[in-house]
Amino acid sequence: MIGSYVTGILPRPQELVELTRAYEREKVTEKKVEIAFEDATAKAIKVQESARLTYVTDGMLRWQDLLRPFTENLEGVKAGSLARWFNNNTFYRKPVIVDDIELKRSITGDIARTKFLPKNLPWKVVLPAPYTFVRLSENHFYKNGTEFMFKYAEVLNEEIKSLEKLGFKYVQLSDPALVYRPFGESISEQELKVVSEALKVAVEGVSVKTCLQTFFGDFSQALPEALEFPVDHLGIDLYETNVEKLKEYSLDKGVALGLVDARSSLVENTDDLVKFVGETIESIHSSEKADFFVCPNCDLEFLPWERALEKMRVVGDVAERLGEEAHG
Amino acid sequence: MDKLFPTQEIGSLAKPVWRVKGYRGFTLSKEEIAEAAGWGRRLKIDGVDAFIKLLNEKDSPNRRKLILEWSAKYAIRFFETAGLDIFYDGEQWRSEMYEHIIRNAAGFEFLGHVKSFDYRYFNKAACVNKPKYVKPFYVDEFLFTKQNTKRRIKVPFTGPYTLVDWTFNEYYEKKLTGKFKDLKRRKFEAKREFLFDLIDEVVRPEIRNLIDSGAQWVQIDEPAATTNPSDEEMKLFVESFNATVKGFDCAFSLHNCYSNYEVLARHACDLQDCSQLALEFANRDGKQTGVENARMGYKDLKLFEEHGFRGNYGLGIVDVHTDYVEPPELVRDRILYAVKTVDNPSRIFASTDCGLRTRTWDVGFQKLRNMVLGAEMARKALE
Repeated sequence: MIGSYVTGILPRPQELVELTRAYEREKVTEKKVEIAFEDATAKAIKVQESARLTYVTDGMLRWQDLLRPFTENLEGVKAGSLARWFNNNTFYRKPVIVDDIELKRSITGDIARTKFLPKNLPWKVVLPAPYTFVRLSENHFYKNGTEFMFKYAEVLNEEIKSLEKLGFKYVQLSDPALVYRPFGESISEQELKVVSEALKVAVEGVSVKTCLQTFFGDFSQALPEALEFPVDHLGIDLYETNVEKLKEYSLDKGVALGLVDARSSLVENTDDLVKFVGETIESIHSSEKADFFVCPNCDLEFLPWERALEKMRVVGDVAERLGEEAHG
Repeated sequence: MDKLFPTQEIGSLAKPVWRVKGYRGFTLSKEEIAEAAGWGRRLKIDGVDAFIKLLNEKDSPNRRKLILEWSAKYAIRFFETAGLDIFYDGEQWRSEMYEHIIRNAAGFEFLGHVKSFDYRYFNKAACVNKPKYVKPFYVDEFLFTKQNTKRRIKVPFTGPYTLVDWTFNEYYEKKLTGKFKDLKRRKFEAKREFLFDLIDEVVRPEIRNLIDSGAQWVQIDEPAATTNPSDEEMKLFVESFNATVKGFDCAFSLHNCYSNYEVLARHACDLQDCSQLALEFANRDGKQTGVENARMGYKDLKLFEEHGFRGNYGLGIVDVHTDYVEPPELVRDRILYAVKTVDNPSRIFASTDCGLRTRTWDVGFQKLRNMVLGAEMARKALE
């Protein structure tokens, strides 16, 4: 199939930006902010529907950063200082691990606003992948990163299963740290093996579709090991990945091509992208049966709302055009 | 400077309520006016009565302009009274470090708010055309500062690399569409073109005007310097600094804070004509006095020395993110620790970590006062 979806946190619409800013200055009540979040969530879902995306998310408008629901709600984790979110002018709170981490109850269920999600479309949810969660945390408890990663993978597994029960059909694990390598050192084979094992723990007994979405770095450096990762789809940031190198491999897994740049406000031209994908996909995809998704390269939250909206439309349009071409 | 450890601040100072509300044309409350009168007396500002009368007047374009001037005058006297050797006007004329330049140059369009963190956002612009210089944006405030103090003036100037990093790059990305197979390469080349056009078209013309107006020291503020820590990006950053300052008869320094100093240190020695690096350390340091292990916050200073930086340091010895007022003894020990690390004590300037924008005037004043006293204690200790 050829499908489409968003890759993570959507920006907050301008009215919600205004209101949350006012809330910071204690000028509006929590109740008012609560209602504004609900309205904006409904809006964020609607725009995905009207962009004709295959899967919809709730927009993740409440998520202060990708890790925050875990940082704030997991037993054994404390919210630490602000740190730069990779090479962006955006910041996240470092999870500080002070004790054995434990999931008392499903946490994303509170955040994934299922009551707003449409009944007629499949739902997607986004969670931090084990490697990224470990790399971005400050570990004061586990004796090493591997032990920590496996423990987090167990917690993640429980969480994914709860989300499955809630009705989610697609789980994306965001893994920017896997490929973000500003100093040129590639991730080692050994590390990739551990990542693969941890992912196995995370998706054990899970029957919905899973994707490991990488961004902010060159996916090709994780090849060929990533081909063996126990997930259905692999997400690639085309604005960071060496496509020529990618073409050296034949991917029999499904891929999610991040071909709309969520860190640039320039709205891509649909024709250009269709052409680009045609050339790329032919050379990397060996199996016609494998799934293929069109998506933004990373969270659209780096854009103001209006631009994100236009980019979502492009994602939907490109997927539709490619679908027509495949069938026509 | 003939004495050791000249004292300086970095740029911004909180804007008094009467400055913010007055400039927007609001009526001021009695308390707000009393605050202006109180600080006016405390700083022994000439003509305070006339100013208070002005604050009681109705809004007018002239009143707004005068309020800007008065708040700059207050800030200048604030720094003088605290005893600083080098300062500016508290950036009282500027809305904010990013918007002030972008709004005063052509080729940009503000697109709306994007998240910084939590419920904090920043208004982000896109470059939609080749940047163009429209009119001077720092010259008036500089001339006013020059008229109002005899002490040494350092003009804070938001650096081009940061402006580019904080701005969407539509014009150049579009221009290069189809020219590169690799999208990453296209983005980087588009960034490079944007950066050097901005330097040539906007940044250098303003520096030229500042120098023609008498400026002798410009501090390039580059908070985004290490946002992209790869070698290629860091080289681009260094190249941009060098292109910014090249050939001007003026002193230049670089301010960078809350950053990755391991990365910056590796490239700092390639900065040309960078007379001073103003760095933030107090924020990373402990509160105990002592010049040995207690000074862990200053360990990165060694990296700059090891990598061969030979300019001066604006040594951050006052943390601007906390109300805790550093005692003079702590300030002294921070300086003395740096003296042990740096080959020549004359390379050390006593500085705040960053601008004091987030502190109240009361706290800011005490902090600066203690910085001045601590620097004096350090001088004595070396005698």
